Amino acid sequence: MRVVFFTGKGGVGKSTLAAAAARQLSRRHRVLLVSLDPAHNIGDIFGIDLAGGRRRLDGNLTLAEVDLGTMAREYLEGQSRALADTYRYLTTLNLERYFSVLKYSPGIEEYALLTSIERTVREGGDLDYVLFDTPPTGLTLRFLALPQVTTTWIERLAAIRRQILEKRYTIGKITKEDGRTAGVRLAFDEDEDEIMRRLKTLRENYGALSALLRGEGTAMVLVCNPDLLSLRESRRLVDGFADLGLPLRLVVLNKVPSRDAAVAAEVEERLREMAGRDKRFLRVPLDEEIAGGRRPLYEIDAELEDFFVF
Amino acid sequence: MKEKGFLTGLGRFLRGVGAAHRERAVALTRLEVRELENIFALLIMGSFIGLPAPPTFLAVELLPFMEREMRVVQRRAEDSCDMMAEMMGALGID
Repeated sequence: MRVVFFTGKGGVGKSTLAAAAARQLSRRHRVLLVSLDPAHNIGDIFGIDLAGGRRRLDGNLTLAEVDLGTMAREYLEGQSRALADTYRYLTTLNLERYFSVLKYSPGIEEYALLTSIERTVREGGDLDYVLFDTPPTGLTLRFLALPQVTTTWIERLAAIRRQILEKRYTIGKITKEDGRTAGVRLAFDEDEDEIMRRLKTLRENYGALSALLRGEGTAMVLVCNPDLLSLRESRRLVDGFADLGLPLRLVVLNKVPSRDAAVAAEVEERLREMAGRDKRFLRVPLDEEIAGGRRPLYEIDAELEDFFVF
Repeated sequence: MKEKGFLTGLGRFLRGVGAAHRERAVALTRLEVRELENIFALLIMGSFIGLPAPPTFLAVELLPFMEREMRVVQRRAEDSCDMMAEMMGALGID
C-alpha cells in the first residue's frame, strides 16, 4: 500500500490534485481518497454528498470524508466510560459534562486526525493507494508532529514510572511486604502496572504510526501556486518535513498561468531550490475550462500516474 | 509452658525490632516514591495548574489509572503549607 498526503496552503488546489490523482490511479489500482480537511470539498469535486461518510464511486475508487467532531466525541466517550468504571464512587458527579468540555482542549482535533489516519491505513489492507487531502498547513504540521511529540512524552513518563516501580520493589524486598500500602496492593512489576502497560501500548502505537509516516511507502506531496504567498507557506512545510523526517517526494506547481511567465519561473526556481533538486517536480498549467466550471475539476490535463510510483 | 510463652514473646519482640529497623531503612525510599508519584501526576495533569502539559489525549488515556497518584498530589498540596515540618519529618528531626 502507498500512502500519499497532499499538503500546501489553503486554495492552492490540494483537493483538486488529490481528486485528479485518485481518478487516474484508479484506472489500474484500488484507491481510497480521504479528506481530512474539516472544510470538506472532495464530495463537491465529484458532485456527490458524502456527509462525513464513505462511498464507493466506481469499482476501484472510494471516497471518504473524516468527521473530526464525531471522532473526537467517540474517543472522549470511550475515555469517559473508562473513567466512570475506575472511579465508580464518583458517578454521582456528572463526568459526562466534564468531558464535553474536554473536546475543546488543544490537541484533541489533531489526535482525531491521527487516529483516523491510523484506522484508515490499518483497515485498508486490500488498497493499493490511500490519498489524504490534508487541512491547512498549521494543523497538518501539528498532527504530523504529534507521533514524535507524544513518543517523547511517553518515554519521559515511562522513565519516571519505571523509577517508581523499582523503588516500590526495593521497599517490598526490604520490608518483606508484598507491596501492600493501607490494604491496597501496589504493583511493582512493569507488566502488572496498569499505567506502565498503557504507556507501553501507546508507545507501540505511536512508534508504528511514526514509522508509517516516515516509511518507504509514504509520500508527502507539496502543492504550491506561482505566487509568493504560497511559496512562503511552502517553506514552512518543507522545513517541517525536514524536522520531522517525513519524505517529501513530489512538488507540484499548480495553476501556472500562460501569462506572467516570469513570476512562475521565479517561483519554480525557488521552489526547486528549497525542496531539493532531487525531488520530482510537476508543473500543472491553469486550465481555463476547469476554472470556468466547463469540465469537472478532477479532469486536469496532466498525466499524474507516473509521479506516484515510488 | 511459661518458657514457651516467653520465647514466643521474645520472638515477636525481635521480629518487631527487625520490622522497625527495616521500616527506618526504607523511610527515605518511601518518601522518594511519594515524590516521584507526585511529579508523575503533576506532569500528566500539568495543564490544570498551568504547567506545560503532555498532549491532552495522553492525560486522558492515563487518568483512569491514576487514582492513587491523584490522592498523593492532594495530600502533598494539603501539606504544602508547612514545608518545614515536612522536611524535618523526612530527615527524622524531632
